Amino acid sequence: MSLVQVLFYLMSFIALASAVFVAATKNLVRSVFMFFITLFALAGLYVLALADFVAITQIVIYVGGILVLILFAFMLSGKETLNAIAQQRRQFISLSKLPAILLAALFLIVLINVILKTNADHLGWISQSIHQKNVIEPDAATTENIGVNLMTGYLLPFEAVSILLMIALVGAAHLSRKEEQQ
Amino acid sequence: MLNFYITYFFIAIGLFGFSAMFALFGVYAERKVSAFIQDRLGPTETGKYGTLQTFADILKMLQKELIIPTAADKVLFIMAPAIIFIAVYMGFAALPWAPGLVPSKLNLGLYYIFAIISIETLGILMAGWGSNNKYSILGAMRSAAQIISYEIPAGFAIISVVMIAQTLNMQDIAMQQGVLSVEKIKFAGFWDVTHIGGIFSWNVFRAPHLLIAFVIYFIASLAESNRAPFDIPEAESELVAGFHTEYTGLRFALVFLAEYSMMFLVSMVAVILFLGAWNTPLPNIGAIQLANWTTGAGWGILWIILKTLTLIGIQMWIRWTLPRMRVDKLMALCWKVLTPLAFACMLASGIWRLFLM
Repeated sequence: MSLVQVLFYLMSFIALASAVFVAATKNLVRSVFMFFITLFALAGLYVLALADFVAITQIVIYVGGILVLILFAFMLSGKETLNAIAQQRRQFISLSKLPAILLAALFLIVLINVILKTNADHLGWISQSIHQKNVIEPDAATTENIGVNLMTGYLLPFEAVSILLMIALVGAAHLSRKEEQQ
Repeated sequence: MLNFYITYFFIAIGLFGFSAMFALFGVYAERKVSAFIQDRLGPTETGKYGTLQTFADILKMLQKELIIPTAADKVLFIMAPAIIFIAVYMGFAALPWAPGLVPSKLNLGLYYIFAIISIETLGILMAGWGSNNKYSILGAMRSAAQIISYEIPAGFAIISVVMIAQTLNMQDIAMQQGVLSVEKIKFAGFWDVTHIGGIFSWNVFRAPHLLIAFVIYFIASLAESNRAPFDIPEAESELVAGFHTEYTGLRFALVFLAEYSMMFLVSMVAVILFLGAWNTPLPNIGAIQLANWTTGAGWGILWIILKTLTLIGIQMWIRWTLPRMRVDKLMALCWKVLTPLAFACMLASGIWRLFLM
């Protein structure tokens, strides 16, 4: 096994193990901190896939933003709420879990189907891109590529997302504003 | 192949040693500077002029008992200082020290540093929650709120430089600010200083709005390293010591080490982005080629350390002369003054790039 393969399996193992811990633990705050390790391992996998820009963006947005906000929500909510969530009935098999199990099972079937059907070593579009020399070298600057693509081929989705975020911002500002004195 | 990895290990250990030595020196300097500003003497007893004081302090700290409060979340409590320090320490990997001398040649170096610093917030929240102490958690929340708010003006100030420099590679940004530049540099957009170099080719003088961006970045970097006047996370008068109230011995030392390393890191990033990185401040004057004579690996390290220490000196000076800001004023300054200004700088950078370069 080459070093890259060793690193891939190591990081996949960390990502999966920490994700299982996140889902299984009773301690909610610890599970949030464990989620941080999952995200970090995912960032490592992105680096192995030569998507370094995506990896760093993952850390900026998820670790620096979303995780910190989740923690804020935890710390602002009272101990009673947290205890109530932690002391839910923990039965392994119960009717309330049926939809979740169904969804997970169906998704697993889809995933296995995809893995079995695709011939990952001989994908048509990949060999075509290699043939046309439409590939990114390991030492290439991906930032420019992403920027140019965002501003040309993907301009409409990019603008739509920015409008969505703007709406969210306006909504948040409106909700947090003090009511006028009547 | 093996040599390659051994070099990396040595560089990593060297950077750790450097940050530890800098923390020792920084604490001593801070005490002497504060003493000078407040008309005191500072440490005088241990060693000549008290120079051995911080070594004595760290020896004492290493022997202290590591106390874990009964009600604390032990795992989080123990891991938090390590995460806080590692987040800052990993940032050093992408900083260039001299021409051709950089631990890791990342073409996304600046973005990487920006990302890795934000992990410190998580460590601070971990420490606050893990201590299970109201002062700790209040301090941690204040600190996190402050850091994520001030990341925005800092980020936009950085973007306005990147738009002018057109690269995220720290070494390339450094290269553009002196006589080694391969492209044309203009002082304030009109005077070609490509072969003159020196202080005139630094990024702060490349466009007038970059001077404002530098000030915004410097203020935001004070807040990000929790330094006065933005040190409300550890406001002694109301919160005992903030998020590190419960820490003792080596763990407290680690938190302290992280704070001083952070000061060095943010100052060095400011130097690289705005103040010419490892380039000399001396310009070429006709036949007296001062800039060419004072550019090189050894000179580079000297210049970058001198400039960074100057900025750290200013940080200390500010800490001991300005009073602490109130929480709401702090947030108002960030969101109502610095963020719009930083946006304006970014806009100015775009216009500058399109029409004046």
